[in-house]
Amino acid sequence: MTEVVSENSEVTVLLVDDNPQNLKVLYETLKDKGYRLLIANEGEKALDLAQRHQPEVILLDIMMPEMDGYEVCQRLKADPETADCAVVFLSALDDLQTKVKGFSLGGADYISKPFQSQEVIARVKTHARVIRLERELQARNRELQGDQNRILNSISEGIYGLDAQGTIEFANPAAGVIMGCPIKDLIGRNFFETHFATAAQSPTSLPVNATCRQGIAENQRDIRMLRADKTGFPAEYRSTPKLDGDELHGAVVVFRDITVELESEQALDEARELVQEQRDQLAHTSRLTTMGEMAAGVAHEVNQPLTAIANYARVSKRMMAVENPNLTLLQETLDKIEAQSHRASEIIRRIRRFMKKPATGKEVLSVSVLLEDTRQFAEVDARNNDGAIELVIPDELPDILADPIQVQQVALNLIRNALEATRSAESALPVEVSARVTSEGCVRVEVRDHGVGLAEDAEENLFLPFYTTKDEGMGIGLSTCRSLIQAQGGDIGFERPEEGGTRFFFTLPVAIPSDTV
Amino acid sequence: MTDIQQIVYVVEDDEAVRDSLELLLKSDDKPVKAYERATTFLKDYSEQMAGCIVLDIRMPGMDGMELQKKLNDRHSILPIIFVTGHGDVPMAVDAMKEGAVDFIQKPYREEALLEKIEAALAQDLEQRKTLDEKQEIIRRIKSLTPREHEIMDRMIEGQANKVIAIELEISQRTVEIHRSRVMHKMGTHSLAHLVRMVLSVKNLIDAR
Repeated sequence: MTEVVSENSEVTVLLVDDNPQNLKVLYETLKDKGYRLLIANEGEKALDLAQRHQPEVILLDIMMPEMDGYEVCQRLKADPETADCAVVFLSALDDLQTKVKGFSLGGADYISKPFQSQEVIARVKTHARVIRLERELQARNRELQGDQNRILNSISEGIYGLDAQGTIEFANPAAGVIMGCPIKDLIGRNFFETHFATAAQSPTSLPVNATCRQGIAENQRDIRMLRADKTGFPAEYRSTPKLDGDELHGAVVVFRDITVELESEQALDEARELVQEQRDQLAHTSRLTTMGEMAAGVAHEVNQPLTAIANYARVSKRMMAVENPNLTLLQETLDKIEAQSHRASEIIRRIRRFMKKPATGKEVLSVSVLLEDTRQFAEVDARNNDGAIELVIPDELPDILADPIQVQQVALNLIRNALEATRSAESALPVEVSARVTSEGCVRVEVRDHGVGLAEDAEENLFLPFYTTKDEGMGIGLSTCRSLIQAQGGDIGFERPEEGGTRFFFTLPVAIPSDTV
Repeated sequence: MTDIQQIVYVVEDDEAVRDSLELLLKSDDKPVKAYERATTFLKDYSEQMAGCIVLDIRMPGMDGMELQKKLNDRHSILPIIFVTGHGDVPMAVDAMKEGAVDFIQKPYREEALLEKIEAALAQDLEQRKTLDEKQEIIRRIKSLTPREHEIMDRMIEGQANKVIAIELEISQRTVEIHRSRVMHKMGTHSLAHLVRMVLSVKNLIDAR
């Protein structure tokens, strides 16, 4: 018995009949079955009780004075508070017409009088359970609906549910905020016509169209959408097809306004450009500094051909002053003048190229050509430092992708440092410049000197700006080198060979054939 | 007096400068010999060389300053004209202190260089002449007998014949004979000239 009680404990059954005898029988039949039983002997009373207690099941007599069972049922179903209860009609009338009318008014079942108590018990039990499950289901549904709404409401991205034609069936609050109008004004409008200026001209090429029509998911960034007031904004969206099995029912579109995002991206780009500009500027300053340091050597280097030209010119004049000039000899001397003027302009060309302000950008470069050019450049210093430079480059070295001037700047810097180190150690060994391919797909250039070696704290400080061990140095050489090499996807560092001296190296990525400009 | 031909020795590592300078000097009828390296010149060097050196101050390996020191160690009297680049003036000053006759900055005017070369050659000739004269004096001094040498020293100190005779315990007549032999061998008639000659080579003799 307890079991029955607990099963039915919260189920309320309302018994309605104008005949007290009938009521008594029903009451007797259902008492002790664990239901809460309510009794009414007329329509108005029944409605009142139903309103207050919301019974799961109502056993309702049809033939009653004042208000008959049909009307009671009608009014129960009309009131949302009581609409979900199961109405089981009780009547002696046992014709089809009566039953159909009862069902058509929302009745759930029918028991004919005189009734069998077993039948009453069974039917009440069945309907009580159905209603209870239904109510639980509804409660759960409301809960889920609430959760879903809370989620949809709290999402900052706009969400639309569209049907296959693009009609907006659902919009979350964020969609309203983004589009600048109440959600209810959006519902029912056509997504394409509302949000795209080109909807009329090219409907099929519009975003989301393929999702709606063909079930293809889309994801695009920086498209132009229109708000309700027809002003435009940049948006990013994802659309996924709404499928029921294989059947396409439209699309769900998640979108957001990326105006602010684009602005901060642009600000970031601008900041990056500024950094790049300053890096180039610093590199240029560093090149100018290097040239300043090399000025004496450069002047000497230019003076050599000029001196030779002046001498040859004077010799030529003498040759022409005699009666029968030796034209062959004269020709030879003039050729020599020409060669020397080329030599001078080559030196100047190299300097001008090196001093040129903006970096020329990445190119596919031959490492051996670049290093040979740098070596000739550094010869100016080699003379000043009484040093020599030895170039060891394998024949089959792949090209690299880098900025030629900046790479030359780095190589020159390292070679000049190496020459200075060699001189201060009073070593006669040449500075060795070599290159090879690494397993990481880079070309590694090494500059090895036999100088005094680096200080112990070099690891920490060497590449820092304004750190210098030279009396006249500014300390921007190596820090600039590092930023230049890193900006080109390479690395720079140094090693202490066992035999003494220092080995600086830098790496640069090998150019893949498709890089060829 | 030697008749060694004066040569302009050019030591310059830059091929174009060396070649053009060689041609230039040849066109001015100067005998020229050009060297690419200081070490090669040093190997060739002998006291018999006459003329001057046009020397590049900056060179790989042994530079101009080093060559000058090596030549000084070997008592070379060849005048040196240093050829300097821009900004090498402090080096040139040091070179002058070491006895270089002059320096000229690249790029130079031919006239200026030729003038300096002419001056250096003249100086070389002068020095060489003086040196020849001195060597002649030394040769003559060496031809004296020990007794004649002793008497000459006393003559230069201004001792009278009588004093010399007493101090050397010889007759005054003997002193007179030695004295006339000294004057004859030294090729002079005046005591004043003799004094000047001997004093001019005093350093050289003391050094031996």
